[in-house]
Amino acid sequence: MPKGPKGTRIFTRGDREAYAMIAPFFLFFIVFVLIPIGVNIVNSFTNYNLDTKKWVGLRNYARLFQDAYFLRSLRNTAVYAIFSVIPLVIIGFVAAMVVKRQTRAMFAARALLMFPYVSSMVAVSMVWLYLLEPTNGILNKLLGAMGIPGKKWLFDENLALPCLIVVNIWKNIGYVMIIFLAGLAAIPKELYEAGRVDGAGDFRMLFSITIPCVRPVTVFVVTTMCIEAFKTFDQVNIMTNGGPLNSTTTVVHQIYVRAFTEFQMGYASAMSVMLLILVFLITCVNLRMGSGGEVE
Amino acid sequence: MKPSIGLRALSTAVLLFFVFVTGFPFLIMVSVSLQSMSQVYSRELILFPSNPQFINYKTAMSNGNWARYLWNSLYVTGMATILSLFINALTGYTFARMRFKGRRFLFFLLLIGMMIPPQVTMVPLFSMMRHFPLAGGNTIFGQGGTGLVNTYTGLILPYIAGSFGVFLCRQFYVSFPRELDEAATIDGCSRFGTFVRVYLPLSGSILASLTILKVTGMWNEYTWPLIMTVASSDRVKTVQIALTSFRNEGEIFWNQLMAATLVVTAVVGVIFLCLQKYFVAGIMAGGVKE
Repeated sequence: MPKGPKGTRIFTRGDREAYAMIAPFFLFFIVFVLIPIGVNIVNSFTNYNLDTKKWVGLRNYARLFQDAYFLRSLRNTAVYAIFSVIPLVIIGFVAAMVVKRQTRAMFAARALLMFPYVSSMVAVSMVWLYLLEPTNGILNKLLGAMGIPGKKWLFDENLALPCLIVVNIWKNIGYVMIIFLAGLAAIPKELYEAGRVDGAGDFRMLFSITIPCVRPVTVFVVTTMCIEAFKTFDQVNIMTNGGPLNSTTTVVHQIYVRAFTEFQMGYASAMSVMLLILVFLITCVNLRMGSGGEVE
Repeated sequence: MKPSIGLRALSTAVLLFFVFVTGFPFLIMVSVSLQSMSQVYSRELILFPSNPQFINYKTAMSNGNWARYLWNSLYVTGMATILSLFINALTGYTFARMRFKGRRFLFFLLLIGMMIPPQVTMVPLFSMMRHFPLAGGNTIFGQGGTGLVNTYTGLILPYIAGSFGVFLCRQFYVSFPRELDEAATIDGCSRFGTFVRVYLPLSGSILASLTILKVTGMWNEYTWPLIMTVASSDRVKTVQIALTSFRNEGEIFWNQLMAATLVVTAVVGVIFLCLQKYFVAGIMAGGVKE
């Protein structure tokens, strides 16, 4: 037990009781979160493949920037993130606006809109696989009824990624809606009354009161959904397996393929480090934008 | 605030559109799960099959050992939820109510943990599980066997420490009056005793929120079970992994696949409908405060 300057113990009895109470959490946290991150960083400088582990310096990182698959996955992930998040924010906000009244019907509608978010990505993917099936899927049946020739959707190099984006948006509308509902509920009623007194119309109040007031919530939604988009894997692995012609492979999908089908654990670790850096960057950029809004 | 009639009509129209777009895929799921394969293959769109084939559910559940898969998912979900909830609440209480050296630094460390995507640690975690000492035929140095791969323990362990849960509990307990602790101390309770006898019984709403978030998260988990399960073994296969195997066998029996999908979704769906209030509260608490 270390001693303080006057011979008193540095850790008091209260300290020790507190440490004992947080010990279980930190035991699991250190062993299953912190150590793996450290190990991951170390592995990223080796050629680890489950059997051997040799130091290779920065070779994995150099390889990343020449790896056409990885570069493609970066591009796909960025496209996926941008084209998921912007529509999600707009659609989620509109959804919150139309269900915000406190009636029974609205609560039922909210529950329904939340349902895709609560369902697993596996289940959602299965349903959409059928909707998008080229030969007897629902979407092509509907198009056929209108006399429009069907598309190959997930089997079309140019349509596969947009399809995944649509499914992602569909699944997450409910979540964004709930966050916006909380933001809307926090706007003081007096602002609207004051606006009414000043003769502002509905649209004027929407753009001058509601939208500025939900800005912090918007930043939160953008950050969370961006990070979620950068972690996308389930959907890709189930619906397209990265294809056709790598048009839907994402960063986490590349990590999975390299680590668990090719057993290039060292190289996959370098990708994981890049993912970690990307996620931190997104968080920082968004927090900057968020706090910038409050300073104005 | 009373919006104009035109705006109300527009709002209702948009709402109906949302309801249709969200509901339609689920309607198709139910419909296809009750169709025969010839109806699935027919050229026209069938929404309400004339003679519903409830047999599809029975056939789907006997495609593989579904009783086992459901039990596996229930067990993994249940264990992870119970263990992580108790640890989350205890840790949250300690950070909210006790002063100790290094408190701010440890809390900061915990918040950093909230930002780390689990995908970043999945590769080293897997090799850790595979080389876990004295498990699955491993020696004390973690060599020779399969370790915790394809075991319940391996599926559960990484989910016990949840920074997010600790954070929510801390926010919750901070708002409690300090007199509670003082009264308990005067009555001779230790701090741990105070937590168990005074705070835990008052934690119903936060624990309900955490439970539903954790249960849906665990039940729906795909990536980690995929890595940790041996494809040819049913031992710890969860329902999500089992669902994907409907697609691996040549012709896809969409009606059975949709039946199984409905069963898997219904479990979380029912829990969600019962605890919806707490689910929403949990999401909001995580997002909006601070």
